[in-house]
Amino acid sequence: MKLILKKRHRREKWFKRTGQMSLYLVLFFLGVIFMEIFSTGYSAFLRTEIAGGSAPQDLLNAFEQYTNQKKSWSIASDAVDMYYKHGKLGKLTSNQLDTINSLKENGQIRLSFNWAFFTHSDSREPELAGIWGGLLGSILTLLVTFTTAFPLGIGTALYLEEFAPKNRLTHLLEANINNLAAVPSILFGLLGLVIFIHFMGLPRPSALVGGLTLGLMSLPVIIVATRAALSSVPSTLKESALGLGATPLQVLFHHVIPSALPGIMTGLILSLARALGETAPLLMIGMVAFIGNPPSSFLDPATVLPVQIFNWSRSPEMGFVENTSGAILILLLLLALLNGIAIFIRKKYET
Amino acid sequence: MTFKMDVKQLNLFYGDKQALFNVNLGLPALQTTALIGPSGCGKSSFLKCLNRMNDIVLQAHVEGQVLLDGQDIYAPSVDVVSLRTKVGMVFQKPNPFPRSIYENVAYGPRIHRLFKTKSELDQIVEKSLVRAGLWGEVKDRLPQPAMRLSGGQQQRLCIARAIAVNPEVILMDEPCSALDPIATAKVEELIDELREKFTIVIVTHNLQQAARVSQQTAFFHSGYLVEARETGALFTTPHDERTQGYITGRYG
Repeated sequence: MKLILKKRHRREKWFKRTGQMSLYLVLFFLGVIFMEIFSTGYSAFLRTEIAGGSAPQDLLNAFEQYTNQKKSWSIASDAVDMYYKHGKLGKLTSNQLDTINSLKENGQIRLSFNWAFFTHSDSREPELAGIWGGLLGSILTLLVTFTTAFPLGIGTALYLEEFAPKNRLTHLLEANINNLAAVPSILFGLLGLVIFIHFMGLPRPSALVGGLTLGLMSLPVIIVATRAALSSVPSTLKESALGLGATPLQVLFHHVIPSALPGIMTGLILSLARALGETAPLLMIGMVAFIGNPPSSFLDPATVLPVQIFNWSRSPEMGFVENTSGAILILLLLLALLNGIAIFIRKKYET
Repeated sequence: MTFKMDVKQLNLFYGDKQALFNVNLGLPALQTTALIGPSGCGKSSFLKCLNRMNDIVLQAHVEGQVLLDGQDIYAPSVDVVSLRTKVGMVFQKPNPFPRSIYENVAYGPRIHRLFKTKSELDQIVEKSLVRAGLWGEVKDRLPQPAMRLSGGQQQRLCIARAIAVNPEVILMDEPCSALDPIATAKVEELIDELREKFTIVIVTHNLQQAARVSQQTAFFHSGYLVEARETGALFTTPHDERTQGYITGRYG
């Protein structure tokens, strides 16, 4: 008897330990990823500047070389930037190295906050490239996604859950929607390409097409989440309202939807967060192109943040390595923000 | 005797399965009728037929007549919504809305527009809570969430909510099965008082409760109405031996 008890305790302890170990392992890897991204990415927010007129042209950014140099500080070239920040020699000649070192001694070279990283759009030169174009593109795209997927998804879920007859057709429909939620996102890109660009002839790499495509991708997720939220509303609540003589529509709008709202909103925001981080379907509809200007309307050529990160990660210049990590940091921050909003809504309306 | 509600040749089907067989029962006005019987005998299903709550059950199908003041409530011309304002319902588990105490009682009058001014609504809420015997306990905390009340208080709140729309008949589906003996005693007392204004039908598993609160008792068994008589007579001299078996505790 005592032996059995001992064995049981040992098994419980062992089980708990394994769980703890796997949790620590996950935390460790998460920490490594964040450390890596942050340590590579933080320098993207800084840039090297050289005191005006004190340096030869070839140490300056190509763009600065041709504009007036009356500014007190000019942007240094990518090679100088890399050398000054990380000590990487790159293609610098020994002459140039000497010049940089003398600038350093005279205090004519410095690091300052890289505002351009937030206000500029994409550029071929890493020291001028910024995330503004991608960020604005992401915002416009998400707006389109929200305005299309939200009403369509919620409407579909409400109909299927509350009004649709339960027959073979609706069962088939439900099964297919659940499957669609798990379909690889690149297939939705293909669908968007065929429907919106080939068939409807909308302008190619625009926020409108991107948003509609991501909307298609988010629809099944929103429908599934909304239906789960609706079906978790206790039937006693509906019955008691019906028993008081409320019409089915009153029951829906006065009781079912308010009770399900936290779940619906959480599902919606999480699906938007997924759309924000999505790259593959946007590659299919041509948003992978290099776009140097921020979009000024939904029909302008645009790119989105994750696609810009993808583009930067393929660029040969060393400066783009830190730019990539910097942009990833911003993207992660946005995702954390969206998830935070979802948690906030859930906590606020959950009683 | 005048019947408030009169059920004639009622058959209820759930899909292929028949749940009630040829039930005939009259419900005398301003009296309490208790429905007793073993689990699954059809007494709750019968209750739901009286305000068409079976409508929301898929594949439920009713044959026969249920007359309310001489009018068949299953006639095509009858509006379910106005029927349910006349025949209110209190459920087995207390199920207040996740809103304030005030809003729970005010909800029915609000959707049926039973008031013109805010003070009229206040009066309806107060009157309903007074009638449900809850006013003294909650009058200082009407804006608080109803979910914070105890189970017995919640059930009396549900009764207040049901009588706020001025029904003529109140259906109660085992209203005390989730309550402790003290809360049960309060609800029973309340049922006795409500009989002055309302016709009440109560489903109960508790035979003593049926004997205490009702004037007429109906015994159901596997979908059939076996016996329905004046409560005292049914409990002292049951005609059918199944009734006798049930009330003496031999089965059920």
